[in-house]
Amino acid sequence: MTQLSVLYRLLVRRQLTTGRWFLFGGFGLAAMAVAWAINRSSEGAQAATDVTEFIYLFGIGLMVPVIALVLASSSLGELVEDETLVYVWHRPVARWKIAMAAWTAAASIALPFTAVPLMATAAIASGDFTSVAATGAATALAVVGYSGVFVLLGLVVRRALVWGLIYLVVWELFVSRAGTGAAKLSINTYPSSVLSRLTDIDLPLADRAMASGIIVPIAIAVAGIALAGYRLRSIDVA
Amino acid sequence: MSNPNAPTPDHPPTAPSAIGHPGNGHPSTDHPPTDHGGVDQVLAGAPAAVEWPPADATVVAYDVSRSFGGVVAVSNVSVAIRPGVTALLGPNGAGKSTLLRMLSGQIKPSVGRVWVAGGDPRQDGEARGRVGLVPQQDGVFERERGIDIVQMAAILSDLDNPDERARWALDLVQMDPDLERPIGSYSKGMRQRIKIAQALVHDPMVIMADEPLNGLDPKQRRQMIDLFHRLGESGKTVLVSSHVLEEVERFGSHVVVIARGRLAAQGDFREIRALMDDQPSRVRVVCHEANRVAAALINSGSLVGCAVNHPGQIEVTTTDVRRFRRELTAVCADQRFRLEEVMPLDDDLESVFRYLVGGS
Repeated sequence: MTQLSVLYRLLVRRQLTTGRWFLFGGFGLAAMAVAWAINRSSEGAQAATDVTEFIYLFGIGLMVPVIALVLASSSLGELVEDETLVYVWHRPVARWKIAMAAWTAAASIALPFTAVPLMATAAIASGDFTSVAATGAATALAVVGYSGVFVLLGLVVRRALVWGLIYLVVWELFVSRAGTGAAKLSINTYPSSVLSRLTDIDLPLADRAMASGIIVPIAIAVAGIALAGYRLRSIDVA
Repeated sequence: MSNPNAPTPDHPPTAPSAIGHPGNGHPSTDHPPTDHGGVDQVLAGAPAAVEWPPADATVVAYDVSRSFGGVVAVSNVSVAIRPGVTALLGPNGAGKSTLLRMLSGQIKPSVGRVWVAGGDPRQDGEARGRVGLVPQQDGVFERERGIDIVQMAAILSDLDNPDERARWALDLVQMDPDLERPIGSYSKGMRQRIKIAQALVHDPMVIMADEPLNGLDPKQRRQMIDLFHRLGESGKTVLVSSHVLEEVERFGSHVVVIARGRLAAQGDFREIRALMDDQPSRVRVVCHEANRVAAALINSGSLVGCAVNHPGQIEVTTTDVRRFRRELTAVCADQRFRLEEVMPLDDDLESVFRYLVGGS
């Protein structure tokens, strides 16, 4: 095993708690229940539009950020809180590897818990392959970006979950939807733009170019990992 | 051409840069640091040694301080630790854990600098790799098995045979490597031994242990003390913090005493005791004809006080134990008194500690 893989294994095992299985499963079931309702109430192009808007609002707007927040902020944040970070930190390991392992652990759990139920939602509601594929791509990009930000948040503040929720509600749900300028500074707008471009369905403030829709979440993740690695160099671990 | 003062894993930097407070006895950038390791801080007039830090020191703190909010936990402490076992002691809340955390790199000094096994443990991964740390906090990864944690430590230290090394380390602390239960189900003593095993798995040059005997039963304590002794005798630097004096005394005679965030003393506690001019030593003399011996000793001039409390037993107070012993021997030889026992009453660690901490 390499340093990166042993860290990844440790962090993944800590993440999978029973409470989280229920929380994440609950989100997925709720999404699929709505998909079933859409399927019953509309069909064809209308069903595709309805489900895409639902995925934009509920999936990428709420479910993905919340799941990424729970996983990524605790990935290293919990180790700081319970003072076990020292067992990893005190070893001769490059700091970026610790940050990278935390991001990978969070993203690799968040992805199946979000992409699978949301793609199932698209499939149930519309049965349209494009809609399913676009949902998968947008969800993956949202997981990538949000996980990067929240890994860093877990190292920078105590009670990262609370601060993360405040950020999501105040910035991502309200301020960023006030206009195009603010939307540019929202993570949400980039995967939403990819969803909009691929499905060819207009979504509010989701008008970024395809390239920026892909590149920006990845760049945010890289920046988040780099800054988390930098933070690990100066952090007090006891 | 290499700089002879450059730090290496074996030699600490002799002239610390970017620190120094001329006039307070601490090392400065202008003057090579001289020995100010505790004893001479506590005891005015103690002779300064020739070199500070000593060339063989593996752990050096240069004038470190640390405060939390407005509270100063450790203030202007300079220590140099050599190979062997050194006990870091002080009352609860004295700052010894804060000092150990600074020395191990877990927290950054507010002021000052730390050098451990070749570098700054916060910045230098290689230096950190030469240190084995037993942290004070109880939390270990609860869902993992003991061997998982020790193996992880081996992998993170880039060792070739992590499984083999983990088993070796667990064997050192007498833990079963095949125990399948997660650490969450372990007793405190078992957790403590896992913490020690993970610290030793990479055979470090320096071992720092914060209250490592907490939670161990008497037999396990004895085993761990023996283990630390063996490590010290094999040339490793073992720095162990404890607030239990009885434990510390069993670790050996080298101590660093912290009281109210300051260095109260450093060195062999018997030597420290000998230098405490302001604390006369008490010695019990058991002999025949105690009254006559006492009378002869009073005339000799080396005593501060003398009392015959029991028949055949004299308790003397002296500021110069060596001179007293010489005079006692001379008196007994001249007058043919039979001497049975001479026993110091307050040169044990507890007395030294009481004098140091009480006077801080």
